[in-house]
Amino acid sequence: MSTPILEVSSLNLSFTTYGRRAQVLHDVSLSVSKGERVALIGQSGSGKTVTMRAIIGTLPMPPANIESGSISFEGRDLLNLTKPERNRIKGTGISIVLQDPLLSFNPVLTIGRQMDDILRYAEIRLGQRQSASQRKALILKTLNKVQLPQGVQIFDAYPMMLSGGMRQRVLIAMALLNKPRLLIADEPGTALDVTTQKEILNLLNKLVKDEELSLLLITHDLGVVREISDRVYVMERGHIVEANTNEEIFSNPVHPYTQKLMACVPALYGERVREVKNDQPGRPKIQVAAITKDFTQRSGFFKRTWSSVRAVNSVNLEIESGDVFGIAGESGSGKTTLAKMLLGLHLPSSGQIKIDGRPINDFSDAKEFRKLIQIVYQNPGSSLNPKRTVTQQLAVPLTFTNHSKASIMTRTAELLEMVDLPPSYASMYPHELSGGQKQRVAIARALSVNPKILVLDEPTSALDVLIQNTVIDLLLKLRQELDLTYVFISHDLSLMRNFCNRVAIMFRGEICEQGLTRDVFANPKHAYTRALLSSIPVISEREERLKPKITTAERQAVLASSTALT
Amino acid sequence: MLFYLAKRAISLLLVLLGLAILIFVIARIVPGDPARIALGPLATATQVFEMRQEMGLDDPFVVQLWNYLYGLAHGDLGKSFLTSRPVMHDIMQALPATFELVLFTIVLQVILSIPLGVVAAIYRDTWVDNVSRIVSLIGVVTPGFVLAIILQLVASYKLQFFPVTGRIDQGLGYSAAHSGLLLVDSIIDQRWDVFGDALRHILLPSIALAAGGIGQVMRITRSSMIEVSGRDFIEASRANGIPERVVQFRYMLRIACIAPLTILGLEFASLIGNAFVVEFVFSWPGIASYGVRTILQKDLNAVIGVVLVSGVFFIIANLTIDTILGFIDPRNRLREDSK
Amino acid sequence: MMPVVTPEISTQHNTERLMTSNQMAWFRFTRNPSAVIGAVMVLSVVLAAIFAPILSPSPQSAGSFVDFAHRHHAPSIDFWFGTDNVGRDIFSRVIYGYRVSLSLVVGVLGVAVPFGVVLGLMAGYFAGRTEFVIMRFTDVMLAIPPLAMALAITAVLSPSLINAMIAITMLWWTWHTRLIYRIVKAQMSEDYIEAAKVAGASHAHIMFKELLPNCVSAISVKISLDAGFVILFGATLSFLGLGVHPPTPDLGTMVSTGSEYLPEFWWEAMMPGLAILYAILGFNLLGDGLRDMMDVEV
Repeated sequence: MSTPILEVSSLNLSFTTYGRRAQVLHDVSLSVSKGERVALIGQSGSGKTVTMRAIIGTLPMPPANIESGSISFEGRDLLNLTKPERNRIKGTGISIVLQDPLLSFNPVLTIGRQMDDILRYAEIRLGQRQSASQRKALILKTLNKVQLPQGVQIFDAYPMMLSGGMRQRVLIAMALLNKPRLLIADEPGTALDVTTQKEILNLLNKLVKDEELSLLLITHDLGVVREISDRVYVMERGHIVEANTNEEIFSNPVHPYTQKLMACVPALYGERVREVKNDQPGRPKIQVAAITKDFTQRSGFFKRTWSSVRAVNSVNLEIESGDVFGIAGESGSGKTTLAKMLLGLHLPSSGQIKIDGRPINDFSDAKEFRKLIQIVYQNPGSSLNPKRTVTQQLAVPLTFTNHSKASIMTRTAELLEMVDLPPSYASMYPHELSGGQKQRVAIARALSVNPKILVLDEPTSALDVLIQNTVIDLLLKLRQELDLTYVFISHDLSLMRNFCNRVAIMFRGEICEQGLTRDVFANPKHAYTRALLSSIPVISEREERLKPKITTAERQAVLASSTALT
Repeated sequence: MLFYLAKRAISLLLVLLGLAILIFVIARIVPGDPARIALGPLATATQVFEMRQEMGLDDPFVVQLWNYLYGLAHGDLGKSFLTSRPVMHDIMQALPATFELVLFTIVLQVILSIPLGVVAAIYRDTWVDNVSRIVSLIGVVTPGFVLAIILQLVASYKLQFFPVTGRIDQGLGYSAAHSGLLLVDSIIDQRWDVFGDALRHILLPSIALAAGGIGQVMRITRSSMIEVSGRDFIEASRANGIPERVVQFRYMLRIACIAPLTILGLEFASLIGNAFVVEFVFSWPGIASYGVRTILQKDLNAVIGVVLVSGVFFIIANLTIDTILGFIDPRNRLREDSK
Repeated sequence: MMPVVTPEISTQHNTERLMTSNQMAWFRFTRNPSAVIGAVMVLSVVLAAIFAPILSPSPQSAGSFVDFAHRHHAPSIDFWFGTDNVGRDIFSRVIYGYRVSLSLVVGVLGVAVPFGVVLGLMAGYFAGRTEFVIMRFTDVMLAIPPLAMALAITAVLSPSLINAMIAITMLWWTWHTRLIYRIVKAQMSEDYIEAAKVAGASHAHIMFKELLPNCVSAISVKISLDAGFVILFGATLSFLGLGVHPPTPDLGTMVSTGSEYLPEFWWEAMMPGLAILYAILGFNLLGDGLRDMMDVEV
């Protein structure tokens, strides 16, 4: 094996806040060899981002303090370098691609300006000089490398004018500008749609090979790790608990934590898939007939100009009692708009929705409708009011459906028990609860008036995988106990495979395919469904083989390329 | 960009129209007969009656409002009862003095507060930051008239260096003939003695006027610098090897100065308001002194005129700031122009 | 390479409840020197005002008492802040002056805050026409020099404490409306507002039970900062001769009268001036401290 380009050995690091010291990294050791792709995986709070920031040298000290250990890059200990020496390595030796493709840009400067600065100051540090036009030529060439051929337009654009996929590509181009030897990528593509993420991962793989880079990948997503690494470090609460080659880790995880992480990833194919069935499909609960929703925007000088965007286009659905009905789609596909129409929060521009056999606008009594259908939101941090106690929040739906004070008290106790929370939580505020507990409170609130239908708007996507499963199990248990019908809105097809008995795939406001989950996944008809399924990172060779195959031409035909200038 | 500015200008002009109507309505609904107020308690009933005729007070309210707005559009603010001259004439005479004072104050605020705020943010939580915090706090909490008196007491009476009151030493026999601004015109005429004298006169009032704003804007600059320094793209710039000074002054300040500049615009009316008391203490011959005099004499037309002229000031100031912000921050203008 | 596996880390979850939010807030308050100093200063002003008759060395100085034998005395052991042009004890008059200042604060904020808050809630919660009318009106108010407006109103209504209060109140509510409007607007995109609507909650419930609790910390910081500025504003009005009638001891009037005797009897203007500064500084430090503590932007 060649000598490592980056070597972190026995790094101990602590933070001191309000006079309290907390150690965040314990004896962390890892190495990256030349040309190697190494992944550092862990849940949020595991210390992986702190490790990254310690390596690139952007940790504020204090409050951070490196207590012992060393970080050496190409044989030189970074922690013993002077500030200018250390700065000389930034961008030219080690460069980074940060997680959020929008927040990583300065919003008030053009892309060209920001890239030129990176190049120019690196040259000043290295004592070279190029003319502005030479630099621009190099920038355009680098943009071309990340598959952005319209470099000239991008050069003069402001970050807000680019799409998410393009911004991610530009970020990678920025990191490549000064020909670094080591590239550190923090959750690349995680904030993007799965089809775009796939393109970004392919691009990174190609660049590592073409540019002879070493790659350190920081991520929480095991599927991504499998696709883009040679070696893997698993991190748990500041410790490296397991390190091995990619194949070994995935075929034979040894540490219990790694095993737990693996077990939590919902399987897309194979025997690990959990089939959910609707045993006694009753009469139709929700009937959606040819609904369309147009949003009109007023713009122009006196807000006279009206332009309209079609968010949902002639959608037909029939959801039966007892179904767990999945509506899948990427951002902007219209799935959330559809859900809000089911709840009566938006009125359809045309078409009809019937709930329990009655047209939605037929419910003269709003209370009756509220008792029928409720919603659980994606982010409990936003769906629970931070200034109100658990009891106060659970009581709202009850208060407005004519419950007495006494019955509200007994009902809230009942609800907490139903979602497996101790009664003592009743007087707590949301900030005292963990993410999973908050989501349980949100579920309890939705159930308080005994609805028959729950709309679940990505109820687990804001949670760690480990907690995600417990919430899904709770939802399945409640469905049994309370005879509920679920409408599950998500972009996460793996999860959907294990939670829904029927699915519909939304694409640009229309439903392009629907059917039994088993059938749709085993035999996707629509090219978009195939593109979507084939883009999902999975964690075993077996699943990889079972994924539908799609040619590049087909893929291009259905997907608006993420490199189009908006 | 032009579209964005045109839109801002129109909304600000609507503010001015709203202001004109509001002031007029208030002036009419206050208890008491405006004619009686204008003439004073000694006037006879006939005099009051004639005055009401002349002021058109017996016309329907809408007609009065229309006549007033019509006059306004033609630059007619009515006649002052105090000086018996058109209000517009009085205001135009006093305007250059106020304009000079306010302009000088704003310049003082910008060149002192923003750099000091940046320094406080860079040396956060050190003695530099603490000193700047105390200085800004003193600026914010000291009432303008108290500071004015302290300045007079120390700098004028004790040190004998600054003149106590006025705008220029009358003995110099100089009149500003170009722009009406003494500091500008004396440079044009190359009268350095006049320039120095005018500078010594303007310094104390403008310090008294600027202090509150300096303190406030400094704190806002500091906190918005700190807020920006925590954003991802700043970390990205550092990790990409951009030198620290460039990160601070090009990348951070450019965004961090948006909030303080906006505040300067919004607080402009307060600045004019404070000019009332500062001009009063220093006997500065501006519209604020004129305003105080006419208000004390209940000279309604003049009061309305002074408030409206302040409104025009406010609008010009905000339009200027919007223009600057349009150049600094492309986001607003892109959003408007792309629609 | 050698596979590395470390033994499983013991999972000890921190199940005990950390500090309650009240304890946490108190902890941060006591660790914040400016908040503590500010609170002490505010408390001293309030106590001085309440117990003025007991605390002042010469209660009769609060009225139209005249003692020509002691006029223009410099600060001394007998007269801490000196005496004025008719021989009244300035320290006593300052303490009584705080009574006037604080009643102005209570009167103005007692009306302006609830009014401004309710309008802000309405403007932020009901979009469309309500929002347009309220917010455009506050825009217009923003363009008026507040001092000029207050001067004009008090001048027309004739100068008195009540009229000064009315004039300041008429201008003050807009600041609260704008503050609350901004906070409510930011909250409107939060899911808990929609969740309350889905739960069938009434408009009043959403405004006062869901939105208002999230405005409380900002309002309390704003009130603390405001109290200082109301004092300043009132003092400025009476400095210009449009405030409280003599002989009622009022800090602004005292500065105004005292400034006629500058520079030789400097204390007659300076002492009441510094007393105003002390009160404003106290409220500002307290407000700043509260702002840091509750982490709100005002």
